[in-house]
Amino acid sequence: MSNIASTNLSRRTVLAGTGALGLASLIYPARRAQAAGSILKVRSYSDIQILDPAFRLAAPEGDITNVIFAGLVVATAGDKWGWRPMAVETIEQLDPLTISFKLRDGIGFTDGFGQMTAEDVKFSIERIADPKNESPYSGDWETLKEVEVKDKLSGLIHLKEAFAPLWTSTLPTPSSTILSKRAVTEAGGKLGVEPVAQSGPYLLKEWLPKQRTVLVRNPDWKYEQGGYDEIHIHPIEDEKTAELGYEAGDLDYTWTSVSSISRLKENPPADTTVVEKPSLAFVWFGMNKAVAPFDNPDVRRAVQYAVDRKAVVDAAYFGAASTSTGIIAPGLIGHREKNLYDYDPDKAREMIEAAGVSGQTVVLDILNKTERLTAAQVIQANLQDVGLNVEIKQNDSGTFWTLGSKDNEYHKKLQMVVQRFSMQPDPSWATEWFTSSQIGTWNWESFDSEEFDKLVVEGKIELDDAKRDVMYKKMQDLMEESGCYVFLTHEVAGVMYRNSVAAALKPNGEPVFAEFKPA
Amino acid sequence: MLRLAKIWRIVRRIVREPLGALGLGLVVLVVLSALFADVLASYPPTKLSPADRFAPASFQHLLGTDHIGRDLFSRVLYGGRIALSIALGATGASLVIGIMLGLIAGYGPRWLDNILLLVFDALKSFPTVILALTLVTITGPSLMSVVLVVVLVSVPGYARIIRTQTLVLKSAEHVMAARSMGAGSARILTVHILPNVIGPILILASMDIPVVVAIEAGLSFLGMGVRPPTPSWGSILNDGFANIRDSYWIVVAGGLPIILTTLGFTFLGETLRDLFDPRLKGRV
Repeated sequence: MSNIASTNLSRRTVLAGTGALGLASLIYPARRAQAAGSILKVRSYSDIQILDPAFRLAAPEGDITNVIFAGLVVATAGDKWGWRPMAVETIEQLDPLTISFKLRDGIGFTDGFGQMTAEDVKFSIERIADPKNESPYSGDWETLKEVEVKDKLSGLIHLKEAFAPLWTSTLPTPSSTILSKRAVTEAGGKLGVEPVAQSGPYLLKEWLPKQRTVLVRNPDWKYEQGGYDEIHIHPIEDEKTAELGYEAGDLDYTWTSVSSISRLKENPPADTTVVEKPSLAFVWFGMNKAVAPFDNPDVRRAVQYAVDRKAVVDAAYFGAASTSTGIIAPGLIGHREKNLYDYDPDKAREMIEAAGVSGQTVVLDILNKTERLTAAQVIQANLQDVGLNVEIKQNDSGTFWTLGSKDNEYHKKLQMVVQRFSMQPDPSWATEWFTSSQIGTWNWESFDSEEFDKLVVEGKIELDDAKRDVMYKKMQDLMEESGCYVFLTHEVAGVMYRNSVAAALKPNGEPVFAEFKPA
Repeated sequence: MLRLAKIWRIVRRIVREPLGALGLGLVVLVVLSALFADVLASYPPTKLSPADRFAPASFQHLLGTDHIGRDLFSRVLYGGRIALSIALGATGASLVIGIMLGLIAGYGPRWLDNILLLVFDALKSFPTVILALTLVTITGPSLMSVVLVVVLVSVPGYARIIRTQTLVLKSAEHVMAARSMGAGSARILTVHILPNVIGPILILASMDIPVVVAIEAGLSFLGMGVRPPTPSWGSILNDGFANIRDSYWIVVAGGLPIILTTLGFTFLGETLRDLFDPRLKGRV
């Protein structure tokens, strides 16, 4: 700073140098683009932290494990939720408790781990289901009894009880990914960010933290081929930043911010398709009942009354999204028609004063994204209005996603959070994360209800849709009655991609990278 | 009266230079608008009004409103208060610490000088942004964190300059005379050395103020500076950057005061330097 005066660097030199750098940066991307060939450049909303399907932290990690490891089946693109075989030649539900499968004969693991066998299927599925392994996705195989190996490539999946979400939110997700038993065992039981024994249509070639993940075509994959030689995945947390990146030509596909959808649809960037998809994701404002002052149920209830959910959602999404009644989106079994508690600041003020916490300062943790910050600022104003001061703490994704983990000491201090979860098309996926066994994993509010836990289990084995509908509505009632949750929105999903790309999107706009092709 | 007359003479010399006059005018404008923010602002800077979001400049909102309907003119005024208080506070603290350490390093024993130089060089070896982000990650985003960052970044520079000049003055005739007459180290440092080294460093500090303003704005832009909803020029820029396609005036409202403040303090500092040390004129 002050030693500038003592150097020989003149202002003219600095300007000339800056100009040269600027010119070079203009030339470099142009040359790079010419040499790019068959490369798809996409944006994900967070960087990878682990590439073990059983312990994945966020959807972008699942998007990658879905193409570098073969799952039994995989979700397909289109306007309806569906799946197709990936590692299996055939898979069939013989009866409510039995699924037979036969693996394709030519799927091998990289790094010399040999051919994929039914023994690997048994290992991978039972590994997720085994409570000892503490996989946060063990609920996907809640009723698994065992996987029986019939021969080298065939087997039977036996369930203890029927399992309603099996074909919607278990099998077509990374929870059916098959890993090499030998590779995982040699790796100490868990894979990290440098995956071994890859088996999918693409291989992870390079990971530059916070910059990009590069996937390349797997030369040994003999089945449905991906459309690109390489897929470059750029972690960009903020959608607005991603939009600028897209418009600068650095991306071929990105989700947009909800607030930009109408503008982009009216006036799309050149050679671009903009699509709006109904989202299943859910966003909420949570309070950790294990930490004061939210260990007092009256304070939690007061905050529920204090938050003007419509104002929060309108401000954060510029009127493009609606408020939600719970965690299950419209159109799914268990969607509620209304909330139990509405905006009532006078009542909130009275309760805050009665609880003796008026004037206290509490901390609201958020992911460092434009929409979350806006939502947090409206919540901050709402709570200040009833006597609670709020400090907003912005976190980058690496920090944010571990805030409520029991491995992070901060989970004992976490007070409030604005949170968003992705969703699969079955209500059990939404409720799964709020059981008492998920406290310190994904249940950051420390919500614990025996009735809720029981309903989560029963909801998965109940095959009658009408009965499931009642059960899932009740579960959301229990969540809201606990005072730990203020349900905000399901958002909508905006996606844009180059006309030169035939994007493969699930009904909610999530990408199926392996099915992207040049148009 | 004598001091006032001397200040007035300096001011007259500054305004005779066109860039000096412009710099002084901008600095006075920024300082006054920050000081009288309470009077000049038409709305509380944190008052939300989602119904009025993205309003362009008008008589109701002189600089328009942001994405949650806050009045940008009020936020810019109060943001100036934050920027200047950090700039002046942190630069002042850096000066005091830098001068003390520089005097000690220059006048003290050789071994202490070596240790202090090692510390200064170690601090200077960190890139400013990386050091700032690391510190704020450890301490958490707040006003004090920003001040701490600025102090750590600035102190080595000031201290090194003071040390060099102290080393020169240590063997000057008037200092040797004072020592031979029995003056103690404290008296020599404060009465005979400090007055001779403080002038240039004050000018240098005035030229560092825009750098500090930029550091604060940069950290706030990244969400690592002052916490919302406290207005900061950097956070206004961040709000505006996200919506620049639809509402360019938010970026203008956040960026303009940073530009004006930077230009003002730079022109003023350069004019002061040219007045007091013509040998350096045009060299930086």
